[in-house]
Amino acid sequence: MSAAAGPAQLTVENVGVTFGGVRAVEEVSFTAEPGAIVGLIGANGSGKTTTLDMVSGLVTPQRGTVRLDGADLAEYLPEERQRVGMVRSFQDCRLYPELSVFDVLMLCEDVKHEVAVVPTTLQLPWARRAEKRKQVAVDQVIGAFGLERFRHHRTAELSTGTRRVVDLASIILAEPRLLLLDEPTAGIAQREAEAFIPLLRRIHEVADTTIVLVEHDVPLVFALCSTVVVMERGRVVAAGPPEVVRADPKALTAYLGASDEALYASGPSGAGSAGGSGNEHSESNERG
Amino acid sequence: MLAFAAPNFVLLQGVIIGLGYGLLAVGLVLIYRTNRVLNFAQGQVGVIAAVFLVKLTADFHFEYWFALILSLALAAGVGGLSELVLRRLFSRPRVLVMVATIGLSQVLLALTALPFIRPKNLYKPVPVPFDLSFSLGSVIFTPAEVLTLIVAPIVAIALAVAVRSTSWGLNMRAMSENADSARLSGVWVRRTSTITWVVAGALSAFTAILNAPGQTSALTEVLSPDLLLFALTAALVGAMINLTVAFVAGIGVGVLYELLQWNVSSIANQQLALFIVLIVVLLIRVRALRKDSRSGERSTWQHGASTVRATVDTLRRRVSRTGMWMAAIGAALLPLVLNVGNNYLFSQTCIYAVIALSLTILTGWAGQVSLGQFGLVAVGALLAAHLGQTYPLPLLLLLAGAVTAVVAIIVGLPALRMPGLFLAVTTLGFAIFMQEAVLATPCWTLPLVHRTLCTGLPNPASTLIGRSTLFGLSLQSERSFAWFSLGVLLISIFAVRTWRDKGVARRLIAVRDNELGAAAMGIPVLRTKLLAFGLSGFMAGYAGACLAFATERFSTATFDPTISFIIISMVVIGGLGSIPGAILGALYLEGLPALFGSNATIQFLTSGLGVVAFILYLPGGLGELLHRFGDVVTIGIRAAQERMASGRPGVPPPAPDDGVVAAGLGSPPALVPEAVES
Repeated sequence: MSAAAGPAQLTVENVGVTFGGVRAVEEVSFTAEPGAIVGLIGANGSGKTTTLDMVSGLVTPQRGTVRLDGADLAEYLPEERQRVGMVRSFQDCRLYPELSVFDVLMLCEDVKHEVAVVPTTLQLPWARRAEKRKQVAVDQVIGAFGLERFRHHRTAELSTGTRRVVDLASIILAEPRLLLLDEPTAGIAQREAEAFIPLLRRIHEVADTTIVLVEHDVPLVFALCSTVVVMERGRVVAAGPPEVVRADPKALTAYLGASDEALYASGPSGAGSAGGSGNEHSESNERG
Repeated sequence: MLAFAAPNFVLLQGVIIGLGYGLLAVGLVLIYRTNRVLNFAQGQVGVIAAVFLVKLTADFHFEYWFALILSLALAAGVGGLSELVLRRLFSRPRVLVMVATIGLSQVLLALTALPFIRPKNLYKPVPVPFDLSFSLGSVIFTPAEVLTLIVAPIVAIALAVAVRSTSWGLNMRAMSENADSARLSGVWVRRTSTITWVVAGALSAFTAILNAPGQTSALTEVLSPDLLLFALTAALVGAMINLTVAFVAGIGVGVLYELLQWNVSSIANQQLALFIVLIVVLLIRVRALRKDSRSGERSTWQHGASTVRATVDTLRRRVSRTGMWMAAIGAALLPLVLNVGNNYLFSQTCIYAVIALSLTILTGWAGQVSLGQFGLVAVGALLAAHLGQTYPLPLLLLLAGAVTAVVAIIVGLPALRMPGLFLAVTTLGFAIFMQEAVLATPCWTLPLVHRTLCTGLPNPASTLIGRSTLFGLSLQSERSFAWFSLGVLLISIFAVRTWRDKGVARRLIAVRDNELGAAAMGIPVLRTKLLAFGLSGFMAGYAGACLAFATERFSTATFDPTISFIIISMVVIGGLGSIPGAILGALYLEGLPALFGSNATIQFLTSGLGVVAFILYLPGGLGELLHRFGDVVTIGIRAAQERMASGRPGVPPPAPDDGVVAAGLGSPPALVPEAVES
């Protein structure tokens, strides 16, 4: 598969996986058109993260196929998927506790332009130049995300919110064509989650990428996504543009709940009443 | 090997030995389950009890059973006490705790020699309560062996019942699943943990008392690497979780060992077979071990030692650099004033520092624990012994490094998909294999080609190795060799610093800290781990060649596997992952004893107790201490500069700002998204 430029198209066809008798995901299909933002929502345990795991290759689907621009990804290891432009963030956003923000971002550059050990050890001219170039790129991103003052902080010392920003910065560096976001607002206060909407839009624009995101903050998903996929117990119960899904009775009973209040909560006035972040803390052991 | 016989008495002997391994393995698993600690002092606790039993019966003429109860109580108490001492380390990196238990086992060995524990006659056999014996085939089984056959299974069953049905057992099982959760649901985590160590102590006492009659002296060191390896293998077969499997596996290891002794004549081939079996068993159990690894791994490096210190402040950086140059120049001048003997020790210390640096990469950065680094050093030394005169020195060092790197990668292969702990066992096995099977000049007839290959030292007892010249310069004098070793050390430091700052270390640490995340990011995980093994092996290899030239005459005893324990202690005392730390650690554990070996204080400080105290009270290691010293100097200089600038004396020194204290502690604001908008 050639590393084409521009956003990629993701097609998920009838994927399914069983964990020791538990059908985690069954016959899930959806398509993310190039440049689209697709939101996966659903209650805890409905198979959203597992679906994302299958797309990124951490879990091998037992049935069905995952295609990127029409090509089957079955043979690609997780680390190889990055090379075709697939980038994913994790729910717990652990990053690398012992590495500084600068090093985390340098790592993204390392992956793109790998320099072998011997030239590095001998500090051959091209190794030096490569390191310089990486530094310039990283400095730019650090400036753009306002991370200057955290540059030398270890990731373990950062707050969850700052870690998320670092995570997003590393995503920009990775130049994704398909970006998989696993609950980018998990463990973040409602007010800050709102601030994420413009940030994600901006990333979508700058990185010129297709985005698939798993999220509990329903208002955020409806505000951001061009397609919403609602999952329940491992199956897709509703899919389509936000307006359509919002009106779909099956989607309402599955996850959204009947109350309009929850749907429109995101926004300065409705902060705090959304169902999103409440049940979030129980799932991600962020505070441990 | 074709006629493989398994007579009954050999099997029974295997079972008897294996029961001992089994009990030891069960103790290891118990403690690992509860605290995720690999307790290397497990065997030594019991030795105290065995020695005390002799003391009570022989010197005080106590009744056997009464003395037995007292000894068991002593071991249980020592076990519980060790837990109380080590408790504060349980949240620190696992390697730290592991090294602390190595130190603890030395402390316990010293305790055994105390007058109120040590019997007057050391060679008095451990008593046996009855005089039962029987014979099978041509072999008579002694009362002690009969005792083992009776008591060990009873102890094992009693323990199984206790784990299954007492409240302690329930609490312990809950803790092993999820300590935090257990704590919140009302389990007294601390008490449970202490009781576990008490039980493990008693268990260890049974092992030692049952095994002791077969030994000439009760006062033995139980941390013998082979015994440890057998028990660890059994424990790993039980995936460090399953007590029953570990016990049975212990018996299996014993039987296997006896069968090999009976069937295979050469020790080298026995060791080879054992090593292969070890690797195969571990590979088979990979899946079971991985299942548990996730939770263990997470806690392994949390709150780990700060590995890479970013110093932003330019003055602070200048202080570091000046300090480094001063140390280097001082070290370069030192050989001029040292006498021949001390110059010899100087080179030794330099070479040990290089070996410690090789572990800094592997353990400090990649998070893989090696207990057999000296096995790799031996590979390099062997090459020097064989080829020392034929190749020019620089080429030889590179060759030794390259060959050892390949060996290190091969030894590391089974551990590739494992948490760091695993490598500890395979490397320990490798070190023992190197010492007993390769260095002792065994000749292997290669299959297919029918050629004999002798790998070891020309004369295992003592081989002479001539020093070659470096670009025509003679290295015969100890002074010139000291400079040579220092040069090797400085080049190594330079290389490791480059790796730290220019992209190698960050890759290794990323894979250590978050393997899944690193893979998703596109970092080739397996290749990165291999890189760690390779780099570490490379350094160990050329250090080994240097060591061979330094000593000029060496024997298999030079490469005792226990030296690997000292090496890892160096790295831990210096501060995991810290480059100056590794050198200071080598200075402390190799330099000090070499220079002041006869001084009792130094002996004490560098002994087990010193190591334990060090880890307890200075967990960041000597590297941390040095760093703080640098901070203090920087603050002092800055204060002086400001005083001069302002022109009025007596200005109080400014508070350390973010740049001076390496990593700022102020909590950053939650989010800064506006910045992107602009």
